[in-house]
Amino acid sequence: MERIKTIINTILKNRGKKDIDSIDENTNLRDDIGFDSLDLAELTVRIEAEYDVDIFENGIVNTVGEILQKIERK
Amino acid sequence: MELFFADIGSNTTISWKELLKDLNRSTTYNPYCYHSDFYEIFKHIILSLLLEEELILLDSDFSDEEVDKLTGCSNFSSFTKIIDPRKLPVISLKNELISKIKNTGPQWNITLFTSGTTGMPKKVKHTFQSLNRFVKITEKNTDDVWGFAYNPTHIAGIQVFFQALLNGNSIIRLFGLSPDLVFNSIEQYGITHISATPTFYRLLYPINKIFPNVVRITVGGEKFDEKTIDKLKPAFPNSKITNVYASTEAGTLFAAKGDVFTVKAEMEEFVKIENNQLFIHKYMMGLTENKINGWYNTGDIVEIVSENPLQFRFVSRKNEMINVGGYKVNPNEVEEAIRTINGISDVRVFAKSNSVLGNIICCEIVKFDENLDEAKIRSFLQTQLQEYKIPRFIKFVNELSTTRTGKIKRN
Repeated sequence: MERIKTIINTILKNRGKKDIDSIDENTNLRDDIGFDSLDLAELTVRIEAEYDVDIFENGIVNTVGEILQKIERK
Repeated sequence: MELFFADIGSNTTISWKELLKDLNRSTTYNPYCYHSDFYEIFKHIILSLLLEEELILLDSDFSDEEVDKLTGCSNFSSFTKIIDPRKLPVISLKNELISKIKNTGPQWNITLFTSGTTGMPKKVKHTFQSLNRFVKITEKNTDDVWGFAYNPTHIAGIQVFFQALLNGNSIIRLFGLSPDLVFNSIEQYGITHISATPTFYRLLYPINKIFPNVVRITVGGEKFDEKTIDKLKPAFPNSKITNVYASTEAGTLFAAKGDVFTVKAEMEEFVKIENNQLFIHKYMMGLTENKINGWYNTGDIVEIVSENPLQFRFVSRKNEMINVGGYKVNPNEVEEAIRTINGISDVRVFAKSNSVLGNIICCEIVKFDENLDEAKIRSFLQTQLQEYKIPRFIKFVNELSTTRTGKIKRN
């Protein structure tokens, strides 16, 4: 979870947006964090670089919990 | 109330009556259109048509640098003119407005910007005739409700706008909304037609609802993606799904079922394929800065499926444009912007395929200033380039990977 938070904050920082303090399984990437399609695309690249899994391969994931599931299922 | 435009995102609804009122109240006109509000853009286009004045359409997310480079100025207020009231007679009925627009003369033109091959976006001018060659106006289309899912300042958006406008339809903004708001809009306004990029549809998944009111789905702007399209069918059971090919220079040219495009008989003399390259006759084109003698090379590589009727399939783009969710990015333009940063000695911009946007912009950078990091580079680029052109993944390297001929390798 901490690792995912770091990745999310890197993406926010790169766009000059404010960091987030905490995330949980229900945090919604678009509604709570404010990611747009470019941010989501960047997220896939960064997670793939680290975990070697394409989280959007079979459709869009919406929450942090869904990302964790995809990484664990690998 | 007959609805002209609605946007759940900004809580706006505008009836045709309100549109007419706003138009009739206009006292000034500026040829530069640089708004982020969809309704402002649409109203500006209609006003230019009524006045038969030139219109220059700028993306609202162009940086000041880009606007300055493209137009030679950054403030357009000095171009504002007082409208001669004789040129703008009061219009009180929707049909009156539409028939006046249909009679727009050849002097009206609209300038759009497209990713140029040399680094800078290039201007493309369209006349009313070149834009509306493929607009279908029939009795059957009177009650269409359009889901507007393209950027309103790009060619695809403009074409959807005219299709809806000339048929007197309602336009419902979908572009840039979250999936939930998109679904609500489709239901609440009874949207019947949606035209969008594969990326737009991909971002809606998973779709757990069914929308029986949608009868037509059009996909364009990026390479056709069969997997994406197959997933649309259950949510839109009554919809015919078509794939279109369009370019900023020519607008919509061909439609396909699946990935095979058929050239209609009336189009045949304006299309040719030589050495697997697709050429379009200048008759079909808007006016670009570079004069085209006879035939324009689209840069697309195609494979002929049948000669009679002419059918083909796209193999690849010959040029180096990177398609990011339907937006074309010229890697040379991005490299040029990065090279202006102090502390960087070389850069290579390339595409990485991506499950969200089709492609994503990445780059390798050779730096000699140790303090330079990704966040600093990105924040500088935000003042220079539109967001979708900015590399989302920056790798610092000691030396760039090049092809064997010494050229910078793109993939």
